Amino acid sequence: MAGKSQDDLSACGHAQAGVAGIIERYSGDPGMLIPMMQDIQAGEGYLPREELKELARGLGVPLSRIYSIATFYAAFRLMPKGDHTVQLCMGTVCFLKGSGKISETIQKEFGLVPGATSADGKFTFAPVNCVGACALAPVMVVDGEYHGGLTVDSAVEILHRIAEGGGAEAPVAPGPAASDGPSAEKKGRAGSTTVKYTAEDRPDAKKRAKKKGK
Amino acid sequence: MGTVATKLESAETLAEYRAAARERAARIDRVVRVCCGPGCIPKGAREVYERFVEAAGELADGGVAVEPKLTGCQGLCQRGPIVTVDPGGIFYQGVKADDVPEIWRTTVVGGRVVERLLYEDEQTGVKAQTAAEIPFYRGHHRIALALCGVVDARSVDDYIAAGGYEGLAKVLTAMTPDGVIEELTKSGLRGRGGGGFPTGRKWRSARNAPGEPKYVIANGDEGDPGAFMDRALMEGVPHAVIEGMVIGGYAIGSSDGYIYVRDEYPIAVERLRDAVGQARELGLLGEDILGSGHSFDIRINRGGGAFVCGESTALMASLEGRVGEPRAKYIHTIESGLKGKPSLLNNVETWANVPQIVLKGADWFASFGTEKSKGTKVFSLVGKVTNTGLVEVPMGMTLREIIYGIGGGIPGGKAFKAVQTGGPSGGCIPAECLDEPVDFDRLTELGSMMGSGGMIVMDEDTCMVNVARYFVHFLKDESCGKCTPCREGVAQMLEILTRITKGEGRQGDVEALEGLGTLLEDTALCALGKTAAHPVLSTVRRFRDEYEAHIKEKRCPAKECPGLFRYQIDAEACRACGICLKKCPVEAITGAKKTAHVIDLEKCTNCGTCFEVCPFSAVLKV
Amino acid sequence: MRYRMPTVTIDGRPFDAEVGETILDVARRNGIWIPTLCHHAALEPYAACRICVVEIDRGGWWQVVTSCNYPVRRDITVRVESERAQRARRGVMQLLLARCPESPELADLARRMGVEATPYPKVTEAQRNCILCGLCVRVCEERIGSAAISLAGRGADRAVAAPFRLASEDCIGCGACAAVCPVGTIVVRTHEDAGEVEISPFKSRVKLRRCAQCGEILGSELVRRALGARGGPTVVEILAGGDLCPRCRRAKQARELAAAVPAGAGSGTASDRCG
Repeated sequence: MAGKSQDDLSACGHAQAGVAGIIERYSGDPGMLIPMMQDIQAGEGYLPREELKELARGLGVPLSRIYSIATFYAAFRLMPKGDHTVQLCMGTVCFLKGSGKISETIQKEFGLVPGATSADGKFTFAPVNCVGACALAPVMVVDGEYHGGLTVDSAVEILHRIAEGGGAEAPVAPGPAASDGPSAEKKGRAGSTTVKYTAEDRPDAKKRAKKKGK
Repeated sequence: MGTVATKLESAETLAEYRAAARERAARIDRVVRVCCGPGCIPKGAREVYERFVEAAGELADGGVAVEPKLTGCQGLCQRGPIVTVDPGGIFYQGVKADDVPEIWRTTVVGGRVVERLLYEDEQTGVKAQTAAEIPFYRGHHRIALALCGVVDARSVDDYIAAGGYEGLAKVLTAMTPDGVIEELTKSGLRGRGGGGFPTGRKWRSARNAPGEPKYVIANGDEGDPGAFMDRALMEGVPHAVIEGMVIGGYAIGSSDGYIYVRDEYPIAVERLRDAVGQARELGLLGEDILGSGHSFDIRINRGGGAFVCGESTALMASLEGRVGEPRAKYIHTIESGLKGKPSLLNNVETWANVPQIVLKGADWFASFGTEKSKGTKVFSLVGKVTNTGLVEVPMGMTLREIIYGIGGGIPGGKAFKAVQTGGPSGGCIPAECLDEPVDFDRLTELGSMMGSGGMIVMDEDTCMVNVARYFVHFLKDESCGKCTPCREGVAQMLEILTRITKGEGRQGDVEALEGLGTLLEDTALCALGKTAAHPVLSTVRRFRDEYEAHIKEKRCPAKECPGLFRYQIDAEACRACGICLKKCPVEAITGAKKTAHVIDLEKCTNCGTCFEVCPFSAVLKV
Repeated sequence: MRYRMPTVTIDGRPFDAEVGETILDVARRNGIWIPTLCHHAALEPYAACRICVVEIDRGGWWQVVTSCNYPVRRDITVRVESERAQRARRGVMQLLLARCPESPELADLARRMGVEATPYPKVTEAQRNCILCGLCVRVCEERIGSAAISLAGRGADRAVAAPFRLASEDCIGCGACAAVCPVGTIVVRTHEDAGEVEISPFKSRVKLRRCAQCGEILGSELVRRALGARGGPTVVEILAGGDLCPRCRRAKQARELAAAVPAGAGSGTASDRCG
C-alpha cells in the first residue's frame, strides 16, 4: 500500500474491517458471494471498488468474477445511490396501463437515467420488471414506499414533492426499502392521527352496559 | 406469541403443542384478519392492521379477547385493503386506517356490520356480508393457499394450530420415503412453475440418482411480469413451503434445502427468514426432526435481479456464487445440479401443495382437476378485468368462468380481446377459446402455456403487435447473453417489431419473425431463448390481421401505436370550448365559438394532447 | 457382461466411441467436419456460439443439440447434414455476420458453411468484431490461472472486460487470450521504447524483461514470476539463470563448464566443445 494517501489508507482499513466481517458471517464460503455482495451494498448503498477488491482478496476469488457478477445482476450498483431511489414497475400489467409513457415523462422531467443516478444526484432510477403489485398498476416504489394507480401527472407530482423534501401523502403506508435488510417492516407508522377510544369501545362494552344499566 | 419455544421431540409433543395453541385460539372471541398481501400493502393495509392492534391493546379486557391478525393475500386485490371479522366472516373491502374505529365500535364490539364497507354488486346493488356471497370467490378452492389469508403470516403457532406440520408428522412417523413418492405420483401433481413435469416422477429420479449430498431447492424467483402468486404464497404462508421441503428432503434422502427468492420481494425474504428461524427453534428444522432421525435445514438466498435465474441451471449457478448463465441439460440437474450433485428443484407453489397431499391423500388431490392436470392452480388475474386478484381454482375451469365469472369481465364496457398466460414464454389466447378448460396440455395446444400462473386480460384497446414487442423488449433486457441465437435473435426480433409499431414494417417481416422463432427454438441454450418467440408467434397466429394492417396500411387497428391512427373530433360531441385549439402544439385545430372544431390532418403530429385535454371526450381515435 | 463401446452413427456411418466423449470428438476423429467457434481442445466446452449444432434421434423426434458438449453415454444416431441442422447452423452464422459484418475470419467460415450473406441488419454493438465466444476469458481462467478478464454485463450489451474497465492487476501479459481469439479482437503489442507489452483492448501493460547482457527482449516480467510461483523451486532455479537471453545464457554456461574442468585435463579445450 505504499504511496497511498491517508484517505486511501483509511478507506482501505474501513473496507477491510467491513468486508472481513461479512466474509465471516458466511463462513468464508465462496458460494455465498452474491449474498456477501448484497450485504456490502446494503451497508454502503452501492458496491465500492475497494470493498470488492477486499472481497476478492479475502475470499480468494478473482476480482474479474466479482466484477462479472456486479455487472450481470440488475440489483447491483457500482455507483453511489442518489438521494432517492425510484423503481418504476415495467411489468406487463403496468405496461398495459401506461408505464411506458410515465417512464418517458419522468426521465425527461427529472433527468433520470435508467440504471443510474441523475446528474443532480437526486434520483437513482431503476426500472424494475414487475414488483408483484399488479392490482395497482401502474406502480412506482420510491424509497421503499409504493405509489399505485399512477398517471403521468401524479407520478411527476410525487417526484417533485419528494425532490423538494416533502414526504408522500397518505394513504400509502411505508414498506421495506428494496435493497435493505430485514426489519424495515418494523418502522413506525407514518402520519397516523391518534384516535380517542372511550369505554364504549371496549370489546365487552355491551356486557358492561347491561350489567350497569340493570 | 405463545409459549416459550422448545424443541418438539416427537410427533406427540407436536400434537400437544398444537392442542395448546388451539386452546389459546379458542379463548379468542373476535378475530380480525387484515389482509397485508401484495395488493393491499400499497394501499395502506399495514396501517389498518396497526390501528387494530392499537385498539386491541388499549381496550384489552379480561372479558372479550380480540386478536388482530396480519394475514397474507385474501384474494380480491381490486377491493383491498380487505378486513375479515370473525365470528361471522364479515368481509370488508376498501378499508382505510380511519375506518378502524367505526369497524371496532360497530362490528367488533357491537356485532353489527358497517354497510358502507361491504362489497356491493355493481349491477344489482346487493351487498355481500361474507366472501362466499361475492361472485369473485365462486369456484375458488384453496390448496396451496389453504392457510393464506387465514393464519397470521408471521406466526408459526397460528400455522400449527390450523393444522400445519401435521403432514410432516405423518410422513415422519407413518410413511416411508418410497411411500411419500408413491403418494405424490398417484396424486398427479405436476410442477407449478410452468414446466408441468410430473412431480412424483421427478422425486423418484432424485431418489435414485447416485451421489451425495442431495439438495432440495425451492424456486421462488417468480419473474413473469404480472405474476404474484409465489409472492403471495411466500409472504402469506411461508411455513407451507418449508414443510413441503422437509417432506421432500425425507423422500429423496437430502438434508440440505435452499429457497431462492427474487430480490424484488424483500417482504417474502423476511417472512421466510423469520419462518425458518421459528421452525429451527421448534426443532422442525435441524437435526433429528420430531425424533425421526431425519435432519434438514434451509438456507435462504436472494436473487440479484435477473429473470433468467428462474431457469433451474441459472438458479443453481447463482447459488454457487456465479452469474446466472444457464447450461445444457443433456445431463439433467436431478443427476448433476447444484455443485454437481443431485438436486431436486420445484417451484414454491409445488412445495406448498405437498403437505396437503400427504395429509389428505393422493385420491383427495386427484379428485380435483382434469385427467392429466390434477389439483388446483393459483393464478394472478390481472389487466383489463374488473376484479383483479389472486385466484386458486381447480384445473379444468374454463377461461370464461375465470375471466367473467370470477373476474367480472372487462371494465368500461370494452370488448375482451385476449388473455395472456405463461409470461414471456407464453402466448395470447383469443375470444373464440374462452370456453376452453385451463389445464397444462390444453393451454399448450392453444398456442400458449400454463406458465407460472400469470393471467393477463387484454381488451379491444390493446395492440397485439405492441404486446409482442413488449415481451421481446423484456427478454432482450433479461437475456444472459451467453448464446448467439438468444442474444442476437431477440435483438433482431425487437428491431423488426419496433419498426412495425412505428409504421416502418416491410413485406417479409412476419416471415422473418417466424424464421427467427424456429431458429431460437432449435438452437437457443435454455428455455428463455427457446421460447422467446412464443409471444410473437402466438400473436401472429391469432392476430395476423393486426400485423398486416401495421405493415401494409401503416395502421394500428387498436389505435395504440402513436402515428398509426388518427385523431378526429366528433362534431356532435364537440362543445367548441376551444381548449384543444389552444393546447395544440402545432396549431392544427381550427374552430370558432359554437362551431365544431376540426383537426387538420396534414398538420397533426399525433401527439394526443387534444385527446387528453378535451373535457367532453369529443376527440376520438379512428 | 463385457463392456461394449457405444456406437455413434453419424449421417448413416457408425463409429465406436468412448463413454463421456462428445459427438464432436467422435466426428473429428473420423474426419467429419462440423463448424465450431467457441470450442477449443484445451478448454472445457462452453457451447455458447451454437454453430456446431446437429440433430440426434430421441426415438420419435429429433433434438437439436450442440455437438461440442453432448456427452456420449449410449448408442446415438446423429444427423449432421440434415436440412434442419444445416438451416440451424446457417441461421446462427447469419446472426453472427450481422453482429460482425467486417470480420474476415467469420466471412471465411461462413462461406465454408455455405452462407454468403446475412439478411439481418446490424442491431448489436460488437467491440472490434468480438463474437463473445469466451475463449479468452476461459483460457485465462482455466489454463493460465490469472482470471484477469471476464464477461461483463448481460445480454446484447455483454462485453469482455477487465474489472472496472481498467488495466487488470491480475494480467501477466502472456498473450494467451490473443492466441485463442478466433477473430483477432485481441492484439498483443510490444512497445519497445516503454519496455512494455500491451494486451489490447484490455489496456494491460506489463513490463518486459530484457537480457541483462545484450538487452534483447525476453518476454513479460510477470509471466516469469507466475511461472516461478506456479512451477515451484525447480522452475525458479531454471529461470534463475533467466536474466539472459538464450544466446547469452549458453555463452555463460560454456564459460562455466570450461572453468569447472582443470587446465590440461581431458582432450581438447573448452572452446572445442562449445557450439
